[in-house]
Amino acid sequence: MTSKQHTFEAMIQGALNSRLHEVSRRGLLRNAAIAGGSMAAIGTIGFASAQDATPVEGAESEESPFATPIDVLNYALTLEHLESAFYRDGLAEIGEMGVTDLGFDATVFEKLNEIAVHEADHVTTLTTVITDLGGEPVAEAMYDFGYTDAAGFLGVALALEDTGVSAYQGAAQFLIEEDGLLTAALTIHGVEARHASYLAILNEGNPFPEAFNPALTPAEVLEIATPFIVG
Amino acid sequence: MSSLHNVFLDTIHEQRTLGVKGPAHQRLMAIQTTFADDIEVLNYALTLEHLEAAFYQLAPEYDLGTDAFGISINDRVAEVGAHETAHVDVLTQVITDLGGEPVAAAEYDFGVTDSMTFLATATVLENVGVSAYDGAGQFLENADLLSAAGSIVAVEARHASYFNLITGESPFPASFETPLTPDEVLEAATPFFVP
Repeated sequence: MTSKQHTFEAMIQGALNSRLHEVSRRGLLRNAAIAGGSMAAIGTIGFASAQDATPVEGAESEESPFATPIDVLNYALTLEHLESAFYRDGLAEIGEMGVTDLGFDATVFEKLNEIAVHEADHVTTLTTVITDLGGEPVAEAMYDFGYTDAAGFLGVALALEDTGVSAYQGAAQFLIEEDGLLTAALTIHGVEARHASYLAILNEGNPFPEAFNPALTPAEVLEIATPFIVG
Repeated sequence: MSSLHNVFLDTIHEQRTLGVKGPAHQRLMAIQTTFADDIEVLNYALTLEHLEAAFYQLAPEYDLGTDAFGISINDRVAEVGAHETAHVDVLTQVITDLGGEPVAAAEYDFGVTDSMTFLATATVLENVGVSAYDGAGQFLENADLLSAAGSIVAVEARHASYFNLITGESPFPASFETPLTPDEVLEAATPFFVP
């Protein structure tokens, strides 16, 4: 592993970890409260406490950063382009050998290709929906994911999927008035979570590290994703 | 989408013919198929979380072995069970905070006879859970509650991915989840409720 690669990955992982930590702080507190049997604490921590008029931290209850539902969909499409390009180009680069050389069997490479198909399908569907709604779908950009080998690829894949799950979670509330679009977004969100679970296993992590998955605001997601976008 | 849906219902049917029994219990039949308010949506979710949490109490009775990555499946399942219990606790609390009456746990019969049927049932429960949340999300009117439901369904999807993987199915069988209506979830869950 080169030091440049190491620095890049560490930066991305660091940004992701700090954001996830920050936004999941309430979740951790909540879980601690449950573990301690202190149910009364939960309401004050604010998990979905709809009666609580105090604005909560994180992705909940904020003013929408999106002017229209189409903007929400383009936000999702931006991330799907990123993921789709990542798998399409990355799997071609590392090849099956790159994966089997890590000690995985060939079915792992097949599953990574299934993920690539899913992300491409998400791009196609979101592009079509945005167009049908009279919007202008964002185009694919140019990316640099910074990995230099298959292990690095799998590490970035996990970071992207975790970010994707949290991004959909943070943005879903901005589709609350659009039942059809909300449901469509949820059906993508679940698949990203399935990917994240699998990639966590490949990275020797926990497929489901917490009882409640953290959400990320669009600003937080852009901070994580921006280093990947080079043009 | 419709063919996927059929596959899904076939899976449910298969599960039902594995030996799980019973006609619909009145309690379960009382699940709303439309929702008057957010509290009813949350109670629908809580009904399923109770079912899952109770199911994982059975896990210590079975030696589930190790997965392909050398991790104890019983250890993983214990984590899953703790998550479902946390979901029950939080939903119960939130419903109470909102002035609602949280549904209680029922009596269940999962028809589990060995480690294979345990894992098959876990797989069905988790996949149905994801589809149930995906189908019900649109009925929530409160953004905070929607975000909360999102934080739960993602974890259910992570569980489903894992159980699919260790039971030899694709962890992510389609590009999109299949939302299920409350009626469809009712059909899937009914056999587990003791009449």
